[in-house]
Amino acid sequence: MKSKLVLSFNPEASNLPITHNLIAKHGLLVNILRAEIDEVGGKMVIEVSGKPEGIKEGIGYLKESGVGVRPIKEGVRRDDEVCTHCGACVSVCPTKALTVDPETKKIVFNEEKCVACGVCIDACPPRAMEILI
Amino acid sequence: MKQARRSNAKAGRGKSFGEIRARADEGNAVVMTAMEFKEYVRANGAGKAAKEVDIVTTGTFGAMCSSGAYFNVGHSDPPMKIQKAWLDGVPAYAGLAAVDLFLGATELDETNNMTHGGAHVIEDLVRGKAVRLRATAHGTDCYPLREMDTYVSLKTMNQAVLMSPRNAYQNYVAATNSSGKTLYTYMGKLLPEFGNATYSCAGELSPLLNDPYYRTIGIGSRIFLGGGEGFVVWEGTQFNPGVARTPRGVPKRPAGSLALMGDLKQMDPEYVKGLTFTRYGSSLGIGIGVPVPVVDENMANACSVTNDKIVTGLFDYAQQRRARPVLRDVTYEELNSGEIEVKGKAVPTSSLSSLYKAMRICEVLKERIVKGKFKMTEPVEKLPLDRPLVTLDVRTEKEAMK
Repeated sequence: MKSKLVLSFNPEASNLPITHNLIAKHGLLVNILRAEIDEVGGKMVIEVSGKPEGIKEGIGYLKESGVGVRPIKEGVRRDDEVCTHCGACVSVCPTKALTVDPETKKIVFNEEKCVACGVCIDACPPRAMEILI
Repeated sequence: MKQARRSNAKAGRGKSFGEIRARADEGNAVVMTAMEFKEYVRANGAGKAAKEVDIVTTGTFGAMCSSGAYFNVGHSDPPMKIQKAWLDGVPAYAGLAAVDLFLGATELDETNNMTHGGAHVIEDLVRGKAVRLRATAHGTDCYPLREMDTYVSLKTMNQAVLMSPRNAYQNYVAATNSSGKTLYTYMGKLLPEFGNATYSCAGELSPLLNDPYYRTIGIGSRIFLGGGEGFVVWEGTQFNPGVARTPRGVPKRPAGSLALMGDLKQMDPEYVKGLTFTRYGSSLGIGIGVPVPVVDENMANACSVTNDKIVTGLFDYAQQRRARPVLRDVTYEELNSGEIEVKGKAVPTSSLSSLYKAMRICEVLKERIVKGKFKMTEPVEKLPLDRPLVTLDVRTEKEAMK
């Protein structure tokens, strides 16, 4: 089983060896898709693979450690009222989460593929994309 | 009428614009979208299409920087000859009598990092919103008021007219970036090391690419503009019909363009959109639809053009010069495939023009013609085929007069 998670840390939690613990104590494979740290804490987008119970326990461990855990779907949001379906976002997206439907020519946003990198945000002329993390 | 038309077409004389318009007025015209027409010609040939089809609807929706609107905001009491004006913080040109203002799409609000401009104000007005008007004046004996701070909307204005010097470009370039840093341009975000390529044309759906020699689209043509109706009022600025063309006559570079006017009060925010190009500024996304009458087989051939037969040049925007060398020619079929090859590298592509909205405009315009709600007009004047394009250079007074 695989799951993409958005983690947010306060400054105290930033010093915890959470990646090590997810791997060593909960038997999970951890792929860090994005990580950043600033004055008010840190953010990380990870993909964890392992047994369902391992993932559940791992998420429990993160929460106990004071790490905010959200599913990736809450990483980037598109405002469908604002999107004009031009496609400016399509070629800048590194994970091909934004593609053109060959029939309707609408721009399809596949949230499962999104790693919340934010590259599309300032590439969108009508400003339909918003990063939430 | 039907009989006469068919026999004329069979005799190779085609149909006159007037005959087509009369059929449309009677509700008898055969109207197809550009998408349908190309399929029809593929299956039946241009000869049959010329006989059977009267009108093809074309459309485009994209960022059109040379757009703007003028307004008459009405007279205040005491009256004022507005000298400087701002609409929601965006400067509007006020050097037109007392209360006429012109707002350009790329004019920027001076205070917010190039993210809000005239185009956004135009969209807000079309949405029915009120915008803040601040104005100052010197004050004269006939116009004593010197300052004004109020709100206006389309309901409070006498006239609100979209007037765009250059829209609906006949073809446009594709852009990429060879440099080591991201470039922010009017062609969008261009990633380093040929990281992507962008283009801005509806290709086979685009009005002037379906009438490459401006046989039927000209001054006076009624069009779909921003959801309402407007007219072609002149050749667009930078009109450059003399560029290289394919054997079918389709320009391989930006060529013709249209100057357009239409009542902003009729328009729909679905087709009028304020856009922000990061670190470039604002531009207006506008939807345009033009009906093309299939007057003869040549016109049917022209309207049957498909993306594999429409070419543009890919340019390196890292070259900050007027004349950038072309990296390669590329078809719209390749660009629309999502990936093109540049110097041996597969480069992902992005359209800046909404093909979804362009198709929608073709459909809406067809529906309006079929229902008799949209009346085609014959141009009163042709667009030129012999217009040279000049450049701006540092020159003396004497040189400028040569």
